[in-house]
Amino acid sequence: MSLDEICSDIANKLNTGILIIDNEYKIVLWNRYLEIHANKNIDNVKGKNIFEVFPELPEKWFKRKVESVFQLNAQSFCSWEQRHHLFELQHTRPITTNSHFMAQNCTFLPLEAKNNSQHVCILIEDVTDVCHYQTMLNKTLEDLAQANRIDGLTQVFNRKHWEECLEKEFSRARRYQHGLALIMFDLDHFKLLNDTYGHLGGDKVLIETAKVISSLLRLGDLFGRYGGEEFAIILPNTDKMGAIDVAERIRVAISENVIKFQESQIKVTASVGVAIINENDLRYEDLIANADLALYDAKASGRNLVCFAKEVAEDYNI
Amino acid sequence: MSELNLNEDQQDCLQEIINVAMGQASDQLARYLDTFVYLKVPSIEQVSTLSLIETINKNEKSVAVVSQGFFGYEGIRGEALLMYQPKDSDRLADLLGYEPDELSVEEQIIDLSSILTTTFLNVFAKQIDNQMSYSAPRLLAGSQTAISDHLAQQSFNWDLALKVKITYQVTDYSFNCDMVLLIPESAINNIKAVIDRILEEF
Repeated sequence: MSLDEICSDIANKLNTGILIIDNEYKIVLWNRYLEIHANKNIDNVKGKNIFEVFPELPEKWFKRKVESVFQLNAQSFCSWEQRHHLFELQHTRPITTNSHFMAQNCTFLPLEAKNNSQHVCILIEDVTDVCHYQTMLNKTLEDLAQANRIDGLTQVFNRKHWEECLEKEFSRARRYQHGLALIMFDLDHFKLLNDTYGHLGGDKVLIETAKVISSLLRLGDLFGRYGGEEFAIILPNTDKMGAIDVAERIRVAISENVIKFQESQIKVTASVGVAIINENDLRYEDLIANADLALYDAKASGRNLVCFAKEVAEDYNI
Repeated sequence: MSELNLNEDQQDCLQEIINVAMGQASDQLARYLDTFVYLKVPSIEQVSTLSLIETINKNEKSVAVVSQGFFGYEGIRGEALLMYQPKDSDRLADLLGYEPDELSVEEQIIDLSSILTTTFLNVFAKQIDNQMSYSAPRLLAGSQTAISDHLAQQSFNWDLALKVKITYQVTDYSFNCDMVLLIPESAINNIKAVIDRILEEF
């Protein structure tokens, strides 16, 4: 066996597609792997324009890519992570993955023959498997990150993530002199509710309340469970009147909401504290403290009330 | 540590080879990209694992790091890191001669990285009678926190590396990026041997 024969034998047994084109984008050669996966005989494609054989190729992009290989005489790459595939080829896991075409890593190699003719060799590797598992991994990581942000019971942000959001919004508001409002509310006599209906009843109230409030909020508002039966909402770019308006709507919505639990119909109310960012707030915790004080005022003044933080003078009572 | 250090002659020689390679690379890039590409005089230094992480962290605004491995004869091998700043990606597609909607920003960054790395290292390799092969470029991370996280999580199997940093400037597109070539401890002696051979030939 001569070396040429050995090379040709290996090229045809390789589990990698080898495709060679000339500088007019005409197909010069391909190996058995491509013949099989593209299901086309080499004799039918030899000398044909590559865009004719593979009409799915993004022609302009592909030409610029090949041009860089010729001009810089350097190899170039194309990964499945940026482009799932270049060539619409069959792959080896049609049953156990949902990939329609073979996911590919392609390498463009410059080939210089002795007579100065220029060719580019494109190596095509099947990475459908890698793509499949990486996609599953990414999805799992995303789910985990999501689960890490969400309160399991009420499906709103958990305390940790909510505070991180507030920290960001707080520094943004200070930097750009934007408004920022904070609403904190607490369900009235929640312990009594738990004692009367049991913890399952209490849980149902928390879930249903969170649902009702979520439907009242705007896209940029950040709603979280602060702890127990206390919830908190960050309202970016919102002034005092806007915040009080939202707070009042929340109070009314909660008091009008009837929650069905087993044979009972549960009604709850909430006390609401509102604060807006002011010059004295150096840390986001100051804003929380102000809203919390207002919430305490609402509790002390008879509950089912909205109170505005004293810090900025006047009280707001309904 | 000191035995890995390049002596003054070796350092000068490496600097000279790199300078020549930079000149040729900048010329090739200018012709391909159809605009002037300036390569700033490189800094060559030895870095430890820790200081590498620090340098990258110091480069606060960098948003993307692309890594591409290179390997040639005589045990010359290493990793090229291309570092980009956020504002740099605005006109990349334009610079590369693509339509912006033809490819994602990630792909533009990866594509350009590969072009800069391979163009420079190919001419560099030619200077030392070598020939480089490359791994596919990979985007290590897309944002600053992710990059430091990524590096912090690595248990590097090297303590020292030879670091060559070259800054690319494309003024017409107000574009900058840093190419950091890192040659791991195990390959430093190999590159020193090559340099010594070249020095002897003079």
